[in-house]
Formats: sequence, structure tokens, C-alpha cells
Amino acid sequence: MTMPPFNPSRRQLLAMIGQVAGAAAMYQAMTSLGFAGESGYTGEPDLQGPREGRRVLILGAGIAGMAAAYEMRRAGYEVKILEYQDRQGGRCLTIRGGDRYTEMGGHEIACDFEGDGYLNPGPWRLPVHHRAVMDYCRKLGVPIHPFIIKNNKAFLHSANAFDGRPQRIGHVEKDMRGHVSELLAKSLHQGALDDAVSAEDREKLLEGLRGWGVLDSDFSYSVSDDLGGVRGWDIRPGGGLMADRKPSQPVDLSPLLQSGLWEQLFGFNSYSFEPPMFEPVGGMDRIADAFAREVSDIVQLNARVTRIAQGEDGVTVTYEDGGRGGTVQEESADWCICTIPLSVLVQLDVDCSDAMQKAIAAVPYASAFKVALEFRRRFWEQDEGIYGGISYTDLPLVQIAYPSYGFLSDGPAVVQGAYDTATGGRTFTYSWSTMTPQERIDAALALGRRIHPQYDAEFMSGTSWVWHRVDWSLGCYGQWTEELRDAHYKTLCEIDNRLVLAGEHCSHIPAWLEGSLLSALDAIKRLDQRENA
Amino acid sequence: MTKRRILACIALTLMATGARTQEPPAPAEDTAAAQDTGTLLQRFSDDPDRFTQTDGEALYRTTCQACHMEDGRGDAGAGAHPPLADNPKVASKHFVAGVVMTGYHGMPRFGHQMSDDQVAEVTNYVRSSFGNDHSDPITPDEVADLRAPEDND
Ligand SMILES: Cc1cc2nc3c(=O)[nH]c(=O)nc-3n(C[C@H](O)[C@H](O)[C@H](O)COP(=O)(O)OP(=O)(O)OC[C@H]3O[C@@H](n4cnc5c(N)ncnc54)[C@H](O)[C@@H]3O)c2cc1C
Ligand code: HEC
Repeated sequence: MTMPPFNPSRRQLLAMIGQVAGAAAMYQAMTSLGFAGESGYTGEPDLQGPREGRRVLILGAGIAGMAAAYEMRRAGYEVKILEYQDRQGGRCLTIRGGDRYTEMGGHEIACDFEGDGYLNPGPWRLPVHHRAVMDYCRKLGVPIHPFIIKNNKAFLHSANAFDGRPQRIGHVEKDMRGHVSELLAKSLHQGALDDAVSAEDREKLLEGLRGWGVLDSDFSYSVSDDLGGVRGWDIRPGGGLMADRKPSQPVDLSPLLQSGLWEQLFGFNSYSFEPPMFEPVGGMDRIADAFAREVSDIVQLNARVTRIAQGEDGVTVTYEDGGRGGTVQEESADWCICTIPLSVLVQLDVDCSDAMQKAIAAVPYASAFKVALEFRRRFWEQDEGIYGGISYTDLPLVQIAYPSYGFLSDGPAVVQGAYDTATGGRTFTYSWSTMTPQERIDAALALGRRIHPQYDAEFMSGTSWVWHRVDWSLGCYGQWTEELRDAHYKTLCEIDNRLVLAGEHCSHIPAWLEGSLLSALDAIKRLDQRENA
Repeated sequence: MTKRRILACIALTLMATGARTQEPPAPAEDTAAAQDTGTLLQRFSDDPDRFTQTDGEALYRTTCQACHMEDGRGDAGAGAHPPLADNPKVASKHFVAGVVMTGYHGMPRFGHQMSDDQVAEVTNYVRSSFGNDHSDPITPDEVADLRAPEDND
């Protein structure tokens, strides 16, 4: 690919420096599920408990509902959970070989994985600053191990750049750093930044740029043994009389800029994806299982809530035992904590203020999907040296995530072969969601083999998950905008007589477990204060 | 290269792969399967930011079908994707086009990712399919009139 030489104007140059130095805001906007924000967790909730016997009814046995139940019961409240599904955990789940799930529309999702690989259809990685999640994992005994969020050996790929050949993340990153350092050094030498940088700082900056960008004595970014030690080698250093080492060749600036691969790197700058990240050993549902061990004796499964009625000093919840159309039953309590996703709740009959009704009706639910593929061998490790991490592409599959467990093992292994959410604003998630389970696998294979040609020879079976075909969430997460938050968020979270809502939709950390936990902890704290007021 | 061409190339490569296997006697299904995959990939828009299908059915197949299903009958469990077939609300073209543009409760909006023509096309498709037989199509101009001012970007 030939490109015209790139001669940036001063304005372009400064814009580029801005990009390299501190475009956190932009990175965040461009990142899937990239909601940053330090968690407001302050440790175990300090509840006073009820003055006399008090009954709390919790709707939904996801992480928010189970955490609320666990803490309320410890504080002395009598607690019961009503859950629609025949399992606990809500969106926090894992599917493994042998699992079957009938999605909306009647298609059966089969998982026939033969090895011990699995798909986490929803949550799959935990930042360390999600301190509530980390603390509950510790307290409830959920072992975690590192989740490789950034692997410099994994790929960035664009169908129309570099003849469709994927590039290594580390190469793109180091080449951009080198080129930008070179340009910045050039401007400094030309005095173009004298207004912004003092003479003393200028010398320090030049010195630093030489090391940071691996520039040569002329401040140019070019092949050298030093660069080999940073960027890697075309012929790696060997032993004995093996061939002499040869440093790798950097890619020119213009083709890199034109390729769009640089932008693909920005996702890694999000605070939410700061390494190290972690995952529960054996699957994300280990967290759900740990909460379930604590509260399953007070969970009633297969109970579809249809109505929440409020009186002066209590609530009555109507539900169908056995799911839609089941036997109608009622439960009464002093307080109700409802964690049912708003997309479903808006379709139920809820006694609450008009303002809260409007808030419940205001929030659209984002789409998201995943496809997982099992292969006969770990060709990404064996052929390409990719041990864990994620490759990104501008093809509609968006990303391929390699397992952060089972390294080097023989036999089958599972990659998350396609994943996107509506956060990125791409149209692709809807298209994937329209497909039958078989079509999703076909599409993931047809697209993914452009990045990994081994797909054809090594594929065994696949499975998938489409969040808009899940009847108990009707989507992936509550897609707040700033305007919606201004208009409705506070009302949504306030206690309405005897009812309070919780769940990821009642948090500033949507689509993260931490948001569910913090919303639950805050809701029970306020209920407990109201109880003791 | 535009996105459309990328996907077209992929489709062609797939078909070429199928064709190459024909040199030793051809398993006919391979070519058919490759063509099916090519058709399947057309369900993706050429532009990640906007839907690029132009006719009503193609737009339905890449958006609405996700939730309202192949046959327009939706489905219901804990919550429901309502049917667009046998639904009296579909009698109003303004209602359907409005829902498509601004969303409705949990349903996300599509107005910012579809042109007036596309909204009209998909609305008219829904109102004349799945047993619906409403003979008053909406025009792109009428869709434009329904748009919220901030939607006109
Ligand atoms: C694709 C995706 C990726 C994600 N990635 C991450 C990640 O990497 N890390 C992370 O920390 N988080 C991630 N999350 C977010 C995390 O999964 C959620 O924030 C969390 O699981 C939500 O918990 P919840 O208790 O608020 O809701 P839910 O888990 O949805 O619980 C609600 C419960 O209510 C039940 N219910 C619904 N309707 C009724 C009814 N009518 N009657 C009775 N019960 C009902 C449901 O069955 C469900 O069990 C991701 C989510 C998705 C979808
Ligand atoms: C991501 C899922 C999803 C997609 C995609 C989707 N819808 Fe919807 N739609 C819903 C949900 C959920 C509701 C019901 C909201 C409620 O009442 O709580 C709905 C409601 C509607 C309604 C109102 C029906 C009624 O009886 O109230 C119409 C009309 C409609 N959708 C048309 C469309 C059309 C046309 C498209 C394609 C352009 C589309 N929808 C795409 C989820 C979706």
C-alpha cells in the first residue's frame, strides 16, 4: 500500500499530541461499556435492623436482589425473594457443554462444548477498583485469577488496511508512540512550541521523547537494535551459532493513521479496562453461586411478578407461580425492594408516583450479543503466540477474546468469537440479534476466518447469546443518557412509600456488577434509615 | 474501500472458496452454503453508524426482527416483545413511525440511524406484512414532520 508522505500542519500535530497525551474523555466515549468512575463502596453496610419483626420482599434474584437479601437478613429483617427464572444469578451467568436455553422466538441455544471452556454471556471481567465486587468475592470465597485485558501480541485488524492482514497491538502502539515523539521533537527543534514549553523543559522533554519513542541520535524513529529491544525482532536473538538477530521494521505513520487501527487502541485507555483485571476461576456464575449459597433458602423460583400494590403501611405483590399464565399468588410485606429490569417492570402493574412511572418508562435497553466457538486446539497460542487478551477488528464481529485460563493445554478450547454492545453505537448488534443461533455461528466463522484462517480446519462447535431475546431482561442494560438521568434518575432511586428500586439501572455504573451491588447497598441503607426514623 | 465493498469482498471470497473446492469433484452444498453466508452477511450494514439497507423488508430483517421476530408475532415470558401482527395499534402509521424513531419503553430508538425514507419504508413494510393490510402508507415527508428537532442531524 503506497501512501503520500504525511506532512502534518501545526494544528494537526497539536491535535495528535492531545490524542497521545490525554484524550481520556474521547477514549471513554468510544469504548464499549467504558463507563469509568471510581466505585463509591465504603465497606460492609452498617444497618441498625428493624425495631420489631419486619418483612422485606425482594423481587429478582440477580446480584442486586441477592446482595440486598444477604445484608438485610444479617441485619435481622425477615426476607423473601421472588424470582421468575428457575435459577438464581440473573444476568450473571455462564454456559457450558450440555447446557440448553430456549430464547424468545423459540430458538434453542445449544452448547455442545467438549472441553472445559465456557461462555460468560454477560459479565466476564472485573476491574480492581470495583471494590464491592472484590470485597464480596473475598468474603464469599470466590477465587479469582487474572483476566488478560490487554495483550500486545493480540491483533488489531481492518478489512481494508494492510491488505486485510492483522497487525499486533504492541506494534501499532509502539509505532504511534515513536512517530508522534519524532514529530513532537521536530516541532520543538523548530521552535514551534516555544510559547508552550520553556527552554529548560524543552531539553528535558527532548531527552524524554528520545527514550519514550525510541528515537535515534537524530531524533528519528527508525530501525535499530534498540528498537528491536522494544518492538521485537524479525530474527529473534538465538543461542549458539543461530542467525544474527535482526530488529523488526516499524510501519510508516501515514498507513497507520489511514488504517484506523490507532483508534482501535483507544479502548484500552478506559479506566474501566485498566490492567490488571480479574475473573472468577471457572466462570462468572461462581459469583452468583456464592450469593445463592447464602440466600437460596429464602428464594422462591419460577415466580413471575405481575403486580406491586402499595397500601399505607405495606406492599402486596401478585405473582404467577410457574411463570406466565401460572397460578396467581400473593405475598405481603412491610417493604419491597424491586430489582426487575426496567424494560420488564414497565410492562407490569406498579403502584407508585406518576414521576416514578415516567422514570420506569423512560430508559431504553441496550442490545448486546456474544458468540463463542470451540476449536480443536489453541492455534492462537500455538501458531500466533497469543496467550489471552482480545483482538479488535472493524468487521461486524468487533472483537475476538482468547481464554485467560487453560494456557498450553492440549485439546479443545473456547474463544469468545464475536461480541459487541450498543454502547459503541454500531448498528451490528441488531443484525446479530436478528439471526438464528446457527446463523450467528456461521457469520462468526465467515468473518473470523479473515483474522484466523485456522478456523476452517479447527472448528468444532459454537454457541451464542442475544440479550434482546432474553425475556427476563429484554436487553443488556439500561441505556441512560445525560438528559434522561437529569430528568428521571433521582426519582427512580427514591423510596416511594414502601417500595424502592435497585439493580444496575439504579446506578451510575450501568452494565457492571458493581453498579448492581452499590445500588442494592444504598437502597437497603435508606430503607433501614426510614425504618428507624 | 467502503464497508459495502468489504462485505461484498468477503462474500465473494467465500464463494470463491466454495468454487475452488470444485476442482476435485464438487460437494454442491459447499457453494450453496457459501452463497447463503454471503446473503447472511448482507444483514450487516455497510456503515457501523447507520443502517444502509434501503427497502422495508431488508430493514425489518436487520432491526425489528431481533425483537418482533421473523413472523412479526413477538414473544412473551417475564416481559414481552409485543406482536406487530394482529395489533390494533399498528393501524396508525404515525404511531408506528414514531415508535421506530423515538423508541418506546425498553425499545431503543432508530431515528438517528435511519433516514426519513428508511423509516417510511420499514413502517410501510410492517403495516402491510404479517397479515396487516393497511392501505395508507406514510411518506418520507410525513416522517420528517414527526422528527424531534434534535433528531435532524
Ligand atoms: C453483555 C454484558 C456484559 C457485561 N459485562 C460485565 C463485566 O464484564 N463486568 C461486570 O462487572 N458486569 C458486566 N455486566 C453487567 C452485569 O451483568 C449486570 O450489571 C448485573 O448482572 C445486573 O444485576 P441485577 O441484579 O441488577 O439485574 P439482573 O441480574 O438482571 O437481575 C434481575 C432479576 O429479576 C428477574 N426478573 C425479571 N422479571 C421478573 C418478574 N416479572 N418477576 C420476578 N423476577 C423477575 C430476572 O430473572 C433476574 O434474575 C455485563 C452485562 C451484559 C449484559
Ligand atoms: C431491541 C428490541 C426491539 C427492536 C429491535 C424493535 N422493537 Fe419494537 N418494541 C420492543 C419492545 C420491548 C416493545 C414494547 C415496549 C413496551 O410496551 O414495554 C416494542 C414496541 C413496539 C411497538 C408498539 C407495539 C404496542 O403494541 O405497543 C411498535 C409499533 C414497534 N415496537 C415497532 C417496531 C419496529 C417497526 C421495529 C423495527 C424498526 C422495532 N419495533 C424494533 C422492542 C424492539
